[in-house]
Parts: sequence; structure tokens; C-alpha cells
Amino acid sequence: MNKKLVSAILCGAMVLGTVSPVFAEEDGVKIALVAKSAGNAFFEIAAASFVETAEAEGSTVDIIYPEEATADAQIKSLDNLISQDYDVICISANDENALQAKLEEAMDAGIKVVSFDSAVNSDSRQVFVNQAGVTEVAQALMDAVYDIAGGEGQWAILSATSQATNQNAWIDAMKEIMESDEKYADLELVEVAYGDDESQKSTDQTEALVTNYPDLKVICAPTTVGIAAAAKYLQDNDCTCKLTGLGLPSEMLEYTGEGDDYSCPYFYLWDMQGLGTLAAYTSIAIANEEITGAEGETFTAGDLGDYTIVAASDGGTEIVLGLPLEFNPDNIEEMAELY
Amino acid sequence: MEKKSLMKRITGSREALLAAILILMIVVVTIINPAFFTPKSFSNLIKNNAVTMVMALGMLCVMLVGGIDISITSTLAFSGMWIGMLIKYEYISGTILPFLLAILIGTCCGFIVGLVISRADVPPIIATMGFMYIYRAMAYLISNGGEWASAAALGTFKDFATSRFLGLNCVVWVVIICYVIFFFFMRWTRLGRKIYAVGSNPEAAEVSGINVRNIKLMVYTIMGCLAGLAGALQVAVYASAMPNMQKGGEMDVIAACVIGGVSMSGGRGTVVGALLGALILATIAKALPLIPFFDQLWLNTIKGVIILVVVVMNVILQRTADANALKRREM
Amino acid sequence: MAGKSGRSINNVPESPIKHMIFSWEGILVLLFAAVNIFCAWFSEFYNVSSVLRQMPVYLAEVFLMLTMAFILVMGEIDISVGSIVCLAATISCIVCNAGAPFVIVVLVALLVGTVCGAVNGLILTRVPELPPMIVTLATQIIFRGIAEIILGSGGSVSLSNTAGFKAIAGKVGGQVPYILFLVLILGVIAAVILGKSTFGRKVYAIGTNRVTAHYSGIHVQKIRFIIYTVMGTISGLCALFIVSSSYGANTTTGEGFEMDAIAMAVFGGISSTGGKGNIAGGLIAAFIIVCLRIGLGQRNVHSQVILLIIGVLLVAAVALPNIIGQIQKAAKVKKS
Repeated sequence: MNKKLVSAILCGAMVLGTVSPVFAEEDGVKIALVAKSAGNAFFEIAAASFVETAEAEGSTVDIIYPEEATADAQIKSLDNLISQDYDVICISANDENALQAKLEEAMDAGIKVVSFDSAVNSDSRQVFVNQAGVTEVAQALMDAVYDIAGGEGQWAILSATSQATNQNAWIDAMKEIMESDEKYADLELVEVAYGDDESQKSTDQTEALVTNYPDLKVICAPTTVGIAAAAKYLQDNDCTCKLTGLGLPSEMLEYTGEGDDYSCPYFYLWDMQGLGTLAAYTSIAIANEEITGAEGETFTAGDLGDYTIVAASDGGTEIVLGLPLEFNPDNIEEMAELY
Repeated sequence: MEKKSLMKRITGSREALLAAILILMIVVVTIINPAFFTPKSFSNLIKNNAVTMVMALGMLCVMLVGGIDISITSTLAFSGMWIGMLIKYEYISGTILPFLLAILIGTCCGFIVGLVISRADVPPIIATMGFMYIYRAMAYLISNGGEWASAAALGTFKDFATSRFLGLNCVVWVVIICYVIFFFFMRWTRLGRKIYAVGSNPEAAEVSGINVRNIKLMVYTIMGCLAGLAGALQVAVYASAMPNMQKGGEMDVIAACVIGGVSMSGGRGTVVGALLGALILATIAKALPLIPFFDQLWLNTIKGVIILVVVVMNVILQRTADANALKRREM
Repeated sequence: MAGKSGRSINNVPESPIKHMIFSWEGILVLLFAAVNIFCAWFSEFYNVSSVLRQMPVYLAEVFLMLTMAFILVMGEIDISVGSIVCLAATISCIVCNAGAPFVIVVLVALLVGTVCGAVNGLILTRVPELPPMIVTLATQIIFRGIAEIILGSGGSVSLSNTAGFKAIAGKVGGQVPYILFLVLILGVIAAVILGKSTFGRKVYAIGTNRVTAHYSGIHVQKIRFIIYTVMGTISGLCALFIVSSSYGANTTTGEGFEMDAIAMAVFGGISSTGGKGNIAGGLIAAFIIVCLRIGLGQRNVHSQVILLIIGVLLVAAVALPNIIGQIQKAAKVKKS
């Protein structure tokens, strides 16, 4: 008989044994940094500098990883945070609108909401820390495509999923730029393919693009997994088609270079560490009520200098970190050390 | 004797039909887009689906004994992440050692799953669902939260997937070797036949002196071993190790087997069937983006419909084959 | 009917009270208490009101568990439910945005779910040789695919009028969410149907031995069709509550729900090989998992660690009783 009880006790003991509570000191601003999901190297870089900055300022940061890269999972994480006593939630959102109900609940509970990397809509945040303006990113990518293609010819986009907020914004902005400026009249966007941020599907899609459009000159992949998969495919198969987009230097080190041996002449990303630092300063400033997130306010973000809150295209406000950085054969080795 | 040859003809015809479907698909796609039908294209097709194809062999064994394993892609991520991190931090290098290590880790994972299923009588779907969470979580934990091992960090290991041997890509060779080994293993070795025996009638197998529990332990260990190999292949082919690789890919492997005529209740299925199933699925994935008629957003729906159509056709064919067999026996 | 009270560790008849305590449900109740005590110790924020506040999102998945239990008892599986949730949520959002009254929105969600479930049921009963896992895998891809097509390149839709959905997310006395009552009511209904009605007995019969069930005059295919269809309807219901928490739908809505529902049911002692388990066990197990997730989540335990714990619990929940049973059996043999 007792053995049955033992099984129950064992189950309980297992739960107790697997996790042990870590009680944080109550001091300074308490910030929750919510990721899109676990296992994203891209996010980790920003998170590391976020934590470093915030701790240097005497704040405590907890990084929250939702189970999956979905809005549903982030809603559960937010629920957990609202139950606790955080001052600020800083979130990189999986969906622009789906978190509104929860974030409004958080704001009603007195928690400030800052979004960074990937925005939530204007009603569900105090301010958005934008890595680089949408138009600036789109302009940089458009110019790269124009430059690499030599001013004319076919090009295609390899995106993440069809619902990826950032990617869709950039793609739309690129299309707009292309239509509004005569300069790009000879460029033909043949297809927007979705690789779902999976290596396998991205490879299939790249191959299909190259096969379907033998004259394709440039693929633009504004997503880290997509650009790495495409770069590998193009380089391994000695394709004439070149690549640009947004990627991590450490992932792209092998594929970036001049000449036919390399698939990617240059690509872009923003200062990920700067983004983490700026997001941390913004969170602290908003918690200390130095700023409220209204347009026109200014604050000092440590070594980064002064920043002004400006109106964002979605009707809310944002702080723009700066211009996207270009990674080319000259600086990539150095940058790959960093991220 | 008479009955056996009849059986053979039925299974033969099933695979013949699958081959016909595959060829039909290839012909249709080639007509629409001739670029599909080139040696390089096929080499890439196998390379890009090597992971699924290799694991389909293990799934075949597991399904033959009436089991299922949905933890395989977690095992893949766990073993792949291990070697990725070890190479990144320069504990190991080269090609052979990481491969062996990944296979070893995978084998251990599979062995544990097998122990739980065979010794503690846990239904396979539950045990492997549990381990699906466990191994995936462990893959995240060893990645230090979210580090990736990228192409540059993988050194010479990733060259394996781009190098050639006798004119064929090395990854393709791995797949071919696996299939040849399993073809002989399942058909002509005593152990292979025992797997079939356990699958078609566990009680009878037990009575005839086969240790059913050990066979079950063995198939899950084989599955783990192949998942480990697939982990190394994944890292080599995509030159990158991430903790969430192939998430959800186990369903593709199961689908490949079922399309290939492997029965989910055990006892029926062949290596050739698994191969054809995996190839059909790979062709669908590769061909759909090549066909210009559909919008990108339609791809998943069409893939689902094709899977459904193929399995239904499979069953209908089985019905007619059974009916024919019955008719012949009555005569 | 040895399986009547779910998984019992030994088959020796005992006094009812003893039987209750030592049945799997008894252990689950103890575990439920243990988990709550643990969480209260572990998280300073764990209390009745915070749990009630956080519960609704998880409870939507408990709906799925209730019908999944029937499917598992039949020895089958349905992995398309997450996609049905996605499709139903998508269409109901669009209907709502088109200005339809909320009653219509509710009906549309349930109808979409029912149709999807009926499609599963139809295929599975017309071609009974097909394994449910592979059919529902295909429909999983198809249903989500249709939602992707409907959602178009944006991939998401958000409500322009949230009044109706706000209403169903309401709370009695500002504390207890409606959905909790709905889960309990549906739980009782499902428990009565599965445990006490002839329909339920037939489901067990199918799960224990389908061929025998068929020859003893049970309309196996009819029952399967009904259950898969109801599974769809309940998925539509789940979709409504998911929309009420996110005020919209996107292509990842409902992803992984099928696994959560199956895990809850299995942890509750419902056998995936069929014929065993009951709703009460499933419900208690569901609440254990929900409380554990909330408690651990409130102290920001890494989500993958939480999944790891659930994985271990899942395996242990089934393995431990079996191992103990084997040891007891061995001891008995030794004695005699």
C-alpha cells in the first residue's frame, strides 16, 4: 500500500528537486525582458547588453522566454509578469496586435510597457525602441539590391513567415520605395517567398527562386535564418545570383566577400548591442518617470548620448537607435567577434 | 509456398504503385518546370531531405513493432547542439569524431526511451512525448540559453556536406549507405526478421522464443542512433546548430513512412516503401515552389491535400489487392 | 469492466474509501494539493486571485482535453485540433469585423469547428483503415493552411469590435472567470457521458476491442464520427476563448494545443492505447499542470525547464505505477 503513496511523494519530490527558488534582492527598477522565444542568438546579444546596462544602473532584470515563438505563449508569460511586482515590461513581440489586451491590463496594473526589436501596436505601449527606422532599413536594402544588380534586372525577396511583423513592414516599405522612385524602374521584384525561418524550407525556396528565374540577379533576405540558408545554397552551388539582406555577422562570416567565391557582397544589421543598451536606458527612464513616452521628450542614454522621442508611423511614439550598419568584407571579421 | 509468393506480389504491387506515383509526380513537375529534372537538382533534393530520409528508416523499425517515436527531432537537436557547441568551443574537431559523438549521444537517448517503453510498459506515444519535451529542453540548456554554432564556428566539419566522393555528394552517400544497410538488415538478418515477427504478432513471437522486450528496446535504440546521425547531418548540411532545429519535423518522418505503406499498427512495411514515401514527401516540398500556378500562401494546404490523397490511394489499392488475393484463393 | 475507475494500480478489490485514495485519481488529488503547497512556497505571488486571473488562457486548452479524452479512450488521436482552433478563430474574427452580432460570431466559430471535425470524422469513417494520426496530421496542415490563405500576406487579423469577446472573458464578482464555470459544467457533462451513459460504455468497448465491439452490435463508425465532430465543435469553443484573450487571430494561433491537451489527458490516467481512464482524472491532472505552470512561471523559471518538468511528470506518471506493479507482482511470486 505504502508504495503507492511513495509514487505520489516521488512525483512531488521531483518537482521540488528540479527547481530551486532564486530570490532576487528588491532594489532599484525591476525590469522584465520578454523574448520572442528561447534559442534566438539574435535576441541574446541585445539581451546581454540590456542586462549589463541595467545592472550597472542598479536595476534588476529577469529575462522571460515564452515556450514558443507565438503570441499565445507570450500572453501566458505576460500573465505571469502581471502577477508579480515589475516596474517595466520590455517586450519583443511575436504579433503586433495580439498582446494588446494583456499589455493594457499590465498598464492598468501600473506596469510601464516598452517594446523593442519588434513593435506592439501604439495602444499597447508607452514607447517603442526602434533599431532603425523602417524606411531607413528598406532604403538601405533597396540601394543594396540596386547596387548589386547593377541597376536593372530581376530580384526576389526571401522572407521569414508570412506574418512576421518586421519583415512585412520592410517589404512593404521597399515596394513603396521602388514605385515612388524612377531610379528603380528597371528592377523587377519577381517574387516574395517565405522560408518560415526554417533552414530546410528556406533552402527549398532559394533553390526554387534560382531555378524559376534563371536571370535572377539578387535575393534579398531580411531574416537571419533565411539569409544564412540562402547564402549557403548560393555559395555551394556557385550561383551567379547574389545575396543581401539582414543577418548576423557571425552567421554570415563564411559567405561574405568579394568575387564569385562568395555569395554575399555585403549585408546589413543594426547595432544589436546598442539596441539592448538603449532599451535598458529607456526602460529605466520610463520607470523613474523621467519620460512618459510622449513625443518630443528627451533623455540621456548613458554613453549613447541624447535621444528624442519621435512620432512613429503607426500613431504611437518611438525612439530610433540609428541607421542600419553595413557589414562588408572589410569589417565582418571584426564584427563577427562581437555578434 | 503459394501463399508466400502471393503476399510478395501484393507488397510488390504496393511499392510499384508508390513508384508510379513518384514518377508521375516527377514527370508532371518536369513538364511544368524542366529545371526540376537535372542530376544536381536530385542531389540537392536528397541532401536537403537527408535528415528526414535517414530518420524514416528508424521510424520504420519503430512502427513495425507497433510503436511510434515523436521524440526524434528533439534527440536530433540535442545531439546536433552538443557537437555544435563542442566544435564551437574547440573541444573537438574534424569530421569523424563529431559524427561518432552525435551517433553515440543519439543512441543513449534512444536507449533511455527504449528502456522506459520496454521495461516500464509506457505506451510509446506518451513516453516519446515526454522525452520530446525533455530532450528539446536539454538542447536549449546546453546552448547556454540561445547560442548558435554558426558556419564560421563549425570549422572543417561543415565541409562534409559540400565535398564529393565518386562524383556524389557525401551526404547523399550517407543516405544511400544507410538504406543499403537497412535493406539487407531488415530482409536477410535474423534480427530484422524478428522485428517483423514482433510487429505482426507479439504473443506468437514471445511464444516462439523471441524476447519481445529486447526487440522493442533495440528498435528505439536504432531510432535514437539514426536521430543522432541525423543531428550531425543537419548541422553539416545547414552549417549551423540551433536548439530549435527541425521542430515538428517528426511528423514529416511519420508521414513519409505512412505514405510509404508502413502500417501504424505494426508488422507491415518495407525499406523500399519508406524510401519511396520519403522521396514523395521530399518531391512535394521541393516541387511546390517550382510550380508557378499557386500563390506562396497555398503551399501548406496543397501539401496537406497531397498527403491525404496519397494515403487514401494507398488504402484503396490495398483493398483491391486484398480482394484480388481473396478471389484467387477462392478459386 | 476493470477499467471503470481509470487506472487502478492493483486489481484486488478493496473497500471503496481505500480504493478511492489509492486509485490514480486519489494520487492526483494528493499531487494537486502538493503542487499548490509547493507553488505557494515557491512563489510569493501565488494566491487564489492570481491563479484565477491567469487561469483562463490555460482553461481554453482544458476544453480540448475533455473531448480528446473520448478519442484517446477509443485508442485514437486527433492532432488537428490546434489548427481547427486557428481556422475557427480566424473566421470568427473576420465575421466579427464584418459587423455581425456576437451571437452569430459564436455560432460561426462553433460551426467552423464542427465542419472541420466532421471532415476528419468523414475521412476516418469512410476509410476506416487509415490511421487517425496521419489523417489528422494532413488535416492539421490543411486547416492551418486555409487559415493562412484567408489571412493573406499579413498573417494576422485583429478585432475592431471587442465588446462581445470582452463579455465572455468576464468574471463573476470580478474574480472568478466564466470560463472556469464552463469548464466545470462541460467537465461534469463529459464525465457523465463517458462514465455513466451507454454511449460512454460503447466508447470504452471500442477502445478495448474494436472488432468485438463491432460484432456486438455497436455502430463503431457512427460513434467515431460523432466524437470527431464534437471534437471540432469544442475546438471552435476553445477558439472563442483564445480570441477573447488576444483580440485577434494569426497563423500561429493554437499551435501545439493538441499536445497540451493530450498531455493533460494522459497525465490524468487516460490511456492512449484505449479503453482506460476517466474525465475526473483528466480534469484533476489538467488543474495540476495549470497550477504548476502558473506557479513556476511566476518565478520566471525558464519555459524549457517547465516543459522538461512536464515531460518528466508525463513519463513518470505512467512509468511509476507500472514499475511498482511489476515489483509487487515479483514479490508475490516470490512469496508463493
